[in-house]
Amino acid sequence: MRLFSSLCLLLLALLSVVSGRSAVGDRVLVILEDESQKGLYSKFWADLEDRDFKLSFESPRNEQLSLFRHGQLAYEHLILTPPKSKGYGPTLTPKILLDYVNAGGNVLLGLSSESGTPSAVSSLLLEFDISLSPDKHSIVVDHFNYDKVSAAEKHDVLLVERPGQLRPDVVNFFGGEGTLAVPRAVGQTLGPAIPLIAPILKAPMTAYAYNPGEEAQSVEEPFATGSQLNIVSAMQARNSARFTVLGSLEMLQDKWFGATVQLPGGKTSKTVNQEFVKQLTEWTFQEVGVLKVFSVQHYQITTASEPSQNTTQIWEYNPEMYRIKNDVKFSIEIGQYDRTHYVPFVVPDTDALQLEFTMLSPFHRLPLTPSTTTDNSTIYSTTFTTPDQHGIFAFKVNYKRPFLTPIEERHQVTVRHFAHDEWPRSWAITGAWPWVGGLWSVIVGFLLFVLLWLYSEPPKEEIERRRALSVSTS
Amino acid sequence: MAASTPLDPFLRGSTSKNTRGLLRIIILCTIAAAAVSARLFSVIRFESIIHEFDPWFNFRATKYLVKNGFYSFWDWFDDRTWHPLGRVTGGTLYPGLMVTSGVIYHILRLLSLPVDIRNICVLLAPGFSGFTALAMYLLTSEMSSSPSAGLLAAAFMGISPGYISRSVAGSYDNEAIAIFLLVFTFFLWIKAVKNGSIMWGALAALFYGYMVSAWGGYVFITNLIPLHAFTLILMGRYSSRLYISYTTWYALGTLASMQVPFVGFLPVRSSDHMAALGVFGLLQLVAFFNFLRDQLPGKQFQTLLVALGGTIVVIMFLGLVALTASGVIAPWSGRFYSLWDTGYAKIHIPIIASVSEHQPTAWPAFFFDLNMLIWLFPAGVYLCFRNLKDEHVFVVLYAVLASYFAGVMVRLMLTLTPVVCCAAGLALSYILDTYLYAQKPVEESASSDSNGSIKASKFSANSALRSTRNSIVGIYSVVSKSVITSMVTGFLLLYVAHCTWVTSNAYSSPSVVLASRLPDGSQHIIDDYREAYYWLRQNTPSDARVMSWWDYGYQIGGMADRPTLVDNNTWNNTHIATVGKAMSSREEVSYPILREHDVDYVLVVFGGLLGYSGDDINKFLWMVRIAEGIWPDEVRERDFFTARGEYRVDDQATPAMKNSLMYKMSYYNYNSLFPAGQAQDRVRGSSLPAQGPELSILEEAFTSENWIIRIYKVKDLDNVGRDHQSAVSFDKGHKKKRKPGAKKGVRVLREE
Repeated sequence: MRLFSSLCLLLLALLSVVSGRSAVGDRVLVILEDESQKGLYSKFWADLEDRDFKLSFESPRNEQLSLFRHGQLAYEHLILTPPKSKGYGPTLTPKILLDYVNAGGNVLLGLSSESGTPSAVSSLLLEFDISLSPDKHSIVVDHFNYDKVSAAEKHDVLLVERPGQLRPDVVNFFGGEGTLAVPRAVGQTLGPAIPLIAPILKAPMTAYAYNPGEEAQSVEEPFATGSQLNIVSAMQARNSARFTVLGSLEMLQDKWFGATVQLPGGKTSKTVNQEFVKQLTEWTFQEVGVLKVFSVQHYQITTASEPSQNTTQIWEYNPEMYRIKNDVKFSIEIGQYDRTHYVPFVVPDTDALQLEFTMLSPFHRLPLTPSTTTDNSTIYSTTFTTPDQHGIFAFKVNYKRPFLTPIEERHQVTVRHFAHDEWPRSWAITGAWPWVGGLWSVIVGFLLFVLLWLYSEPPKEEIERRRALSVSTS
Repeated sequence: MAASTPLDPFLRGSTSKNTRGLLRIIILCTIAAAAVSARLFSVIRFESIIHEFDPWFNFRATKYLVKNGFYSFWDWFDDRTWHPLGRVTGGTLYPGLMVTSGVIYHILRLLSLPVDIRNICVLLAPGFSGFTALAMYLLTSEMSSSPSAGLLAAAFMGISPGYISRSVAGSYDNEAIAIFLLVFTFFLWIKAVKNGSIMWGALAALFYGYMVSAWGGYVFITNLIPLHAFTLILMGRYSSRLYISYTTWYALGTLASMQVPFVGFLPVRSSDHMAALGVFGLLQLVAFFNFLRDQLPGKQFQTLLVALGGTIVVIMFLGLVALTASGVIAPWSGRFYSLWDTGYAKIHIPIIASVSEHQPTAWPAFFFDLNMLIWLFPAGVYLCFRNLKDEHVFVVLYAVLASYFAGVMVRLMLTLTPVVCCAAGLALSYILDTYLYAQKPVEESASSDSNGSIKASKFSANSALRSTRNSIVGIYSVVSKSVITSMVTGFLLLYVAHCTWVTSNAYSSPSVVLASRLPDGSQHIIDDYREAYYWLRQNTPSDARVMSWWDYGYQIGGMADRPTLVDNNTWNNTHIATVGKAMSSREEVSYPILREHDVDYVLVVFGGLLGYSGDDINKFLWMVRIAEGIWPDEVRERDFFTARGEYRVDDQATPAMKNSLMYKMSYYNYNSLFPAGQAQDRVRGSSLPAQGPELSILEEAFTSENWIIRIYKVKDLDNVGRDHQSAVSFDKGHKKKRKPGAKKGVRVLREE
């Protein structure tokens, strides 16, 4: 059954490969209020269409607009551009957007400091613990890393390197050479404790948020400074829906794709905005970083009892019950989606995929090592002995890293106690020999005693008694 | 046995014995039939259903046994209770009941009578009560030479409410067969002591083994028989009969009891069993000294007795103390302590004190359960003293012990009932024999029947002086005889009426189904329990884990067939306390507990709408107390009482109460049933706050027709990482406030 369902899933995955390059689907809805602005982003649209996405453009004013059709997603991906007015209107309330994310839809939210961020959007972001500056027109400025060509005066076009690795154990999907131009970005800060959100592009150390309109206050107490200020940040929900906040929608415009920029005191260079935006949409629309568990298998290994058999025997795959002190092999097959198909997933050297064998708390926490590699997946496996504790255990694989689909596998099995006939017999235990000997000596002694008793009666009296009996009966 | 029956002169002769024997058999069969039929009220009133709580487990275990065979039952690891600990059920139950039903089931199938296992389970208790009446007849007949004593005792036993309370049809509990085994083992023991026979002793051991496999109350036998032997030795009644019967019983019985996995090595390790072992050793010593006395002159023997006996006693006592202190012999169990000190459990083991059947008995219960037997009982015990043979000593001891225990714990009324019936049978048969058989000690009327004796007495009375006319009111006169006989008959009739009334009204309710009366007097069945359990059965995945208070664990396992966290087998106090903590804490505290234990559904019982007082809010303090026993810092009973020491659920309720999960689950949405601000709790008789409680970590899944059972589903973690409270407030349209501390104070920086 499990094999069948995984085959079905594979088929479905193949089908989606045929229709598009995303792991989930190819329908993209672009919310664009002003049709005339479409031309500004023509390279971006062309990039997406090159990757087989089907774009639909809608205005938030359209009252027929719905993200769902028959209870299913009408579009797998959503690109939001900032509205001119206060919000997106009744068809795209924060609640609907949250439902969309909960249903598995991916969102790329572009912010712009010119039109300001509507409160509906910032309250939605606040639900993810991503905060925007309370000042709607605040932008990120940096007096050291600005573009001399376009913002010699205002210092509001930032030039930043493409991001490096976030943590040693995290795969970097956005890395590479080159400089990015970030014009007039809206900075975000991330809440300290939420593991689902992660920064993609941080502002340089010397940047700060600032409203050119009203100077005094924001300079005294800026909203955020330095690398606490994010230009691009991401939220990956537990159902692996991805939500990317792009601080500067302007980055996507044709004029910034390959524009010539110059750092103060540096030489001119071309921006790599186009490559970065491609990486960004690839990740957001689940073309990369999608992990999938193809199968999970566990079984009991029984070592050969006789030396002539040197193969191990396997009785049953994925049994519901083990016994304590059984040797168990657990394997999990994981593939990583890479633009068109699944490839074997390789855990970074600095990281480990772990198996927990848990009842209330883990009794085993073991690293899973790659044992086999197929065309589409890697099989990680480990063997261990079930603990000397009966109960209802679970095999748990819990692998959650930023930018990768969370893996949370839980397979419940029962570990039972020894049955009455699985213990070693009494004579097999040397320590029991005195007791076994005592037992048998009592039995033999009793029988001997009975025999002695029966046969040691004085024969004379016996004969007399028998005679007396026969006399009395006759 | 063959007492003469002068009332039946026409039966005198060679056939009389057979005729009386036949009559006796017919009477006994009638008694057994009456015993069985009295217990069928519950089936007639309600239906053929398993009752209460524990029987549901026994029923489930029996089904498992019938389905999977004996060996897998023996090794049964139950992964559907005590999640995630599981329970080694095969090794922690008394299998006698299930095996008995299984054997009956297979025998019936062998006879081509395929009977549903449920019907066997429902009718097992009534069936065995018939056997109990027979065993009572045998036991009492050993005590008295009068044949009527046994028959009366059997009749009493058959319909006594004290016994019926645990053995109506559907009450498929261990006691159903255990009382029969108790009485029959005592009969065999008496027989063994009387005859000094190895065979009877071995039979007693055999049935003792059966009793051990059937009920934890076997400890009563384990202590009563040694006590009897010990008392006989103290009374100087040591005999080889006693030696043979006791040693046979102890050796074989202990071996037999050790075959039950749940008992295992307890007979040599636990303090409860030490008396039997001690008396066994004492008997050997007494026998040895008896042997020595025959061999030695008196003076030397006395010296030896003092020296050797004293040394042995001291050594054994020291050994016992040392073993107990070192832990080889298990200390007394908590249930045992609560037998001596009724306040003990309340202080130390709330989980034992929380069970209603472990409470001390109320006085009226004795009259309710035993009616007129309770005042015949002392008379019967007195009669035992008058004719104090070995077996009468047994009855006296049994009477004393059982009366004490019955006073301490309600459920032990069950062990008192047999001896009360026995003693009452003795007393009543003595009275009847005295008045019905007594003849005036005048020679000419001695051999005649009652008519003749009456005539004779009248004649003699008339011929005597006035002062001797007293004899008219003496026991020989027809007046006194008829008065006494009719009084006794009246009492017996009243007893039967009382038993029938009690059985039909008090003891036949299955408690799974509640009955109430409509205004027109017709019966109305409230079936919320089964409605809810079947909802669970049909609407949840088969491995959905249900958390509830332990009272309902067996029923959920039996009726809904879903895994539970805790159940009525209260083997793990910490696990129960965990559930208690989850119920009595705030939502934020409870949620991690629920997640950790993989809980999918939470079930609460709420009686506020119907006025059903056995609901969870009324049991709530026990949950708090049990949780406080493990986490005294986190759960405090005091917090659930108002400043004036009241336990309230209305506006005045304490914050701990109002924020507890149990309170919220009970009253969630309850306001919507009433006009605004008029919500009323009919059990506590208080009006509820206008604003009902809000739940964020749970969502209501099911509420039964009369709101008795409410089932909540535990929400999954929020998809975007919020806590449930803010997720709920977002769904309601409240905007999240920016953190007030963001502007002033230290900023919390994010580090990767």
